[in-house]
Amino acid sequence: MTDVAVRFPSIRLIVGTLCILLLCAGCTVRRAVLNDVVTTEQVNFIRVGETTLVELADHIGAPDEVTESDFGFVALYYWSDTKSAGVDFGAIPRLFLPYAPTMTLNKTGVTPEQFQVVFDPQWTVRAYGFSRRTTDEPVVWFWPF
Amino acid sequence: MLFPKPLAGIIIVLALVLTQGCVVTRGTIGEPLQEEAISAIKKGTTTMAEVVSLIGAPDRIVKGNDREIFHYYYYDGKSPAMLLLLLNFIRMDIKSDNLYVFFNRNGIAEEVVYGKRTGRTQFRLWPFGD
Repeated sequence: MTDVAVRFPSIRLIVGTLCILLLCAGCTVRRAVLNDVVTTEQVNFIRVGETTLVELADHIGAPDEVTESDFGFVALYYWSDTKSAGVDFGAIPRLFLPYAPTMTLNKTGVTPEQFQVVFDPQWTVRAYGFSRRTTDEPVVWFWPF
Repeated sequence: MLFPKPLAGIIIVLALVLTQGCVVTRGTIGEPLQEEAISAIKKGTTTMAEVVSLIGAPDRIVKGNDREIFHYYYYDGKSPAMLLLLLNFIRMDIKSDNLYVFFNRNGIAEEVVYGKRTGRTQFRLWPFGD
């Protein structure tokens, strides 16, 4: 009795650790981040008809692309935060069995975002705006349905 | 002898155990932009040919309003990963540097816009949080 009582906390720790490992078994979490997010607070200083490209670059850096459109030059800032998670239910059986069928659930959310600024021929801001903003998704969300 | 043999063996085994399953990847696109070369561009005097001799041919040329813009870029990506038997974490962080040189109709540089982000690229493994 005394032996079991003495060992009980460590047994509980081992069982708890094994349970956590079992829950995490076969899990893969991936994340890829491109560039820094441009927030609405960062671009509050922009005044249409006044702010120039150089002032914009001083505040939020050089754009990732400058291209010409029918309305004038457009400066584009890109960023994205790609989250992907998956769980492979064959991970544990594969440790013990010579063959285990693959059963994987995986979800990937690629969220490319843009901040666009249109300039007049004097390189003064004519208009600006963000691309469709996405809501924050959890990093671990492997249910694909 | 620096280490007694058993201790050296233990250290090697520990190092192998601690780093097993670790993957470290680095990828770049283009060449890093040299800040000395960028600061050598003088607005109103430096010509297109001088810019090319200082920095090289541009990665992109944007044309409009009879003017040209040279665009130079450099991308730096760092990706650590931990691939254990049952649990995998993979993270990638990519940032870019961009340089724009605006030329007037006579091919003289009239504006230089440069932004450097790659200095903040990190080997970060933990995929959670910001």
